[in-house]
Amino acid sequence: MNWLTRLISSRGSDLGLSDAQVDALREWQAIAEPDPARPHFETRYTVLNTEATGLDLDKDRLLAVGAIAVDNGRFSASSGFYAELLPSPATTLIDLLRFIGKGPVVVFNAGFNRVMLERALLDTLGITPPWLWLDLRVLLPALFPERIDAPVRLADWMQEFDIETFQRHHALGDCWAIAQLFLAMQSRALAQGALHARALSDIERARRQLWRQP
Amino acid sequence: MTAAAQELLVGASSDFLRRFSPFNRMEPEALAFLAQHAVLAFHPRGSEILTPEMGQARQFFIIQRGKVQARQAGAATVTEYASMTLGPGECFPIGAISAQRPSTNAYVAVEDSFCFQIDADQFLQLMQMSPVFHLFCTQYIASLLNQSRQQLQTTFAQRAAEQQTMTTPLGQLIKKTPICVGPDAATRSALEAMAEHDIGCIVVVDDKQRPLGILTQSDLLPRVVLVGFDLARPINEVMTANPHQLPATASAYDAALEMATHGVRHLLVIDSEGKLKGVVSERDLFSLQRISLRQIRAGIESANDVESLQRASRDIRHLALNLIAQGIGAEQLTQFISALNDALTRRIIDLALDHHDLYGIDFAWMAFGSEGRHEQTLSTDQDNGIIWQCPELQDAEAVRARLIRFGREVNESLAACGFPLCKGNIMASNPELCLTLDEWQSRFGDWIREPDPQALLNASIFFDFRVLYGNERLGDQLRLWLNRSARMNSAFLRMMASNALQVAPPLGRIRDFVVEDDNSIDLKKSGARLFVDAARIVALRTGVESSSTVQRLRQSATRMGVPVDEVSAIIDGFHFIQLLRLRSQHLETEHDSPGDNKLNPDTLNELDRRILKEAFRQARKLQLRLKLDYQL
Repeated sequence: MNWLTRLISSRGSDLGLSDAQVDALREWQAIAEPDPARPHFETRYTVLNTEATGLDLDKDRLLAVGAIAVDNGRFSASSGFYAELLPSPATTLIDLLRFIGKGPVVVFNAGFNRVMLERALLDTLGITPPWLWLDLRVLLPALFPERIDAPVRLADWMQEFDIETFQRHHALGDCWAIAQLFLAMQSRALAQGALHARALSDIERARRQLWRQP
Repeated sequence: MTAAAQELLVGASSDFLRRFSPFNRMEPEALAFLAQHAVLAFHPRGSEILTPEMGQARQFFIIQRGKVQARQAGAATVTEYASMTLGPGECFPIGAISAQRPSTNAYVAVEDSFCFQIDADQFLQLMQMSPVFHLFCTQYIASLLNQSRQQLQTTFAQRAAEQQTMTTPLGQLIKKTPICVGPDAATRSALEAMAEHDIGCIVVVDDKQRPLGILTQSDLLPRVVLVGFDLARPINEVMTANPHQLPATASAYDAALEMATHGVRHLLVIDSEGKLKGVVSERDLFSLQRISLRQIRAGIESANDVESLQRASRDIRHLALNLIAQGIGAEQLTQFISALNDALTRRIIDLALDHHDLYGIDFAWMAFGSEGRHEQTLSTDQDNGIIWQCPELQDAEAVRARLIRFGREVNESLAACGFPLCKGNIMASNPELCLTLDEWQSRFGDWIREPDPQALLNASIFFDFRVLYGNERLGDQLRLWLNRSARMNSAFLRMMASNALQVAPPLGRIRDFVVEDDNSIDLKKSGARLFVDAARIVALRTGVESSSTVQRLRQSATRMGVPVDEVSAIIDGFHFIQLLRLRSQHLETEHDSPGDNKLNPDTLNELDRRILKEAFRQARKLQLRLKLDYQL
C-alpha cells in the first residue's frame, strides 16, 4: 500500500465512504494516465456536462452529470452516462470516474463545469482527478474563426451548426449537442494538423492568451 | 453506460429517425434496435465517406444533418444519374451492403455533415427483424436492376488496353531470326529447312544478307508440286523475286496496309543497310490485335486445359511489355497484371476443382505477398495458401488432406503457366499453409505475441493476404480479427516499425545514391519495400482493411490527419520506383534472363535520376514519420 492509497483510505473513512467505494476509488486511481500525444483515433475523449441548481458558483450545488464517450471520432447511444447526485453523491461520482477513466475531458465552459465538478469531487471523494480538460467555448472560436470569433453561448454554436437536442438545459441533453460540436471540432483540428489532445490543449491556451491581451 | 442515459439517447435518435420514411413506418422494436446501435460521426465538407476503393461496404449510413453527394465512380453508368445529392434522413449504400460488395458510388460530404452509421451485420439483422425495412431495401435494389455493375469496372481497363494497337514498330514484332538460304541452294535443301523449322516461308538472300526473294508454303502447290519441278535445281528459279520489304522502323499498321494492298501474307523487315532482320506474317499482326484485355480474359475464361492457359499467360506478359513500351503508368499496369493473373488463377482453380470433390467444404484461396497487395511485377513467384472451415461431423485431417491434394494441383498448374514454385514453400500444398480460420488466427496471434525476427518476416508476407477464390467472408473475418489484435498490441507494431527502419533509402551524402558493389541499387529491397513495410504498419494501426500499399497509405492518412498532398507525394514516389522495376524487368526479359530488381542509376537519364532521388526522399519522409510515431 503506497502513501496515495493510504491517503485515500484515511480520507475515505473521514468522508464516510464504504470499503467497496474506497476499493473502487483505488481501482480508478491505478488506471494509467494515457499519453496526451496519442492520435485522436486512439484516444477516448469524454464529453461532460453538469446541471446545477443555478449558475452561481458560490451558492449553487451540482444536481446531475451527463457524459458521452467519443471514441475514434464517433459515439452511440450506448456510450452515454447520466446520473443525478442524490440520493448518493459518492456512488454517482465514483461511477462517473469509472466511466471517464483518465482520458481527456471535454466541456463547454470550463469556468463553470470544471469548477462545479471538481468541487463536488473534492468534497465528496477527497480527490482532484488529473484529467486534461478541454473547453469548447474557447476551442470552437479558435478552430472555426470564420463562423464565430468570440466566446459565445452554447445556443449560438448549436444554431451555427444547426444542431438540435432532445432537451435543452438537461445535463445529458446539452451534452448530446456538445458531443456533436466536439466531433466537428475534432475533424477540423485533424485537418489543421492538431493531431492529439495535447495539441488541442495548446490551441486553447494560445486562444485564452489572445483574448486576455488588451 | 447507465440505463437512464441510454434510454434518453435512444429516444433522441428514434425521434429523429421517425421524421423520415421508411423509419416512420418501422416496427417499434426494430426502430429501437436501430437507434440503439446507431453511431454518430462527423464528416467535414469535401471528405470521402465511402468509395469503391475502400473495399466491401461495412457500414450503412443515415444522414442526420448536411448533404452528401453520390457520384458514379466507374466510366459507364450503373444508375440513371451521374451524381445525386442526399439530405437528412436519406441512407446509403443499400445495394452494396446488401450484396456485401464494394460500393459502386463514391459518397462525398458536400456540406459539413453528421451521419448515423450501423455495421453491416446490424444492417442485415435489421432487414430480418423489420419487414418494412426489408421491403424498402429490396424495392430500392430492384430499381437498380438491368444496371449491370460488373461491367463498368473493366470498361476503363479495356479501353486503355486496346489503345495498344498498330503503332508498334515492326522491329519489335520480330521474334525469331529468319531462316534464309543463298540463291544457288538446291530447292530440296531449302524445303527441308522449312520443314525442319516448321515455318511458312523461306527467304533467299545474297552474300550481304540482302533479300533477293521469298518462297512461301502457298507457292509450293502451283510452282513445285503440280508442275513437277526438279528439286535439285536452285531455288532462285522458283522463288518470288523482289519481295515486299519494309524498314524495321515502319509500324505494324504500315505492314498491314502493304499486305492488304499487295495481297501477300509475309513481309520482309530490313535494317537501315538493307539487310534482312526478319519476317512478319499476317498472323503476327493478327496476334498483335488479338492481345487486348478483353480477349485475353475471354481466352482465360473459356480455357479448358492448362495448355490454353499457358497461351493466355504468355499473352498477359506480352500485353504488359507492350503497355510498358507505350509508357503507361505503373499503377494501371500493375492493376492490369494483377487483374489478369487473378482471372488466370481463378480459372486454374476451376479446372482443378473438376478433379477434386470439395463440395460442402467452406474454403478460400488466399494470395500473399506482392500478389496479395495487387502489386505483382513480371517476375513474381507463387505465394498462396488456403483458409477453410471444417464441416460439422467430418474429420478435419481428412478434409485437410483433400485440400492439400487440390492445392498441389493448382500450384503445379500455376507453375506451368509461368508462376515459378515458391522457393520458400509458401504454397497451398504446404500443410502449414492450409489452415482453418482458427488455426490462421492462432498462427498470426503467435507472431504478434512473440515478434522475433522470423515472426516479423512472416508478418510481412502473410499479413498482406487477400482472398482470390472461394468464400471471401473467411478472409474478411481473418482481416478484422488481425486488425483488432495488432492494434491492441502496440509493442508488436513498434517491433514491426523498428524492423522496417533497418533499411534506409539509398541516398548518399556525397554522391546522389549509395550503390552496392556492382554499382546498382536494389529497387525492391531498398526501394519498394520501404513503402510497403511502412504502409502495412499504419494500416494495422488504423484498422485499414485493404492489402494494397497505395490504399493503405491513402486510407490511413485520412484517419491519422496526414495532409492529402503529403500522402500523394509519397504514393507518387512509390509508383515511380515500381515503374522502374517493371521497366528493368522488361529489358531483362528481352534477353531472356530472369528479371531482377537491380538498377544502375548511371543508366538513367537526368530527369529520371532526379525523380528517383525524390522518390527515395519520400521514402525517408515516411520512415521519419514511423520513427516519430514509435519513438525509435
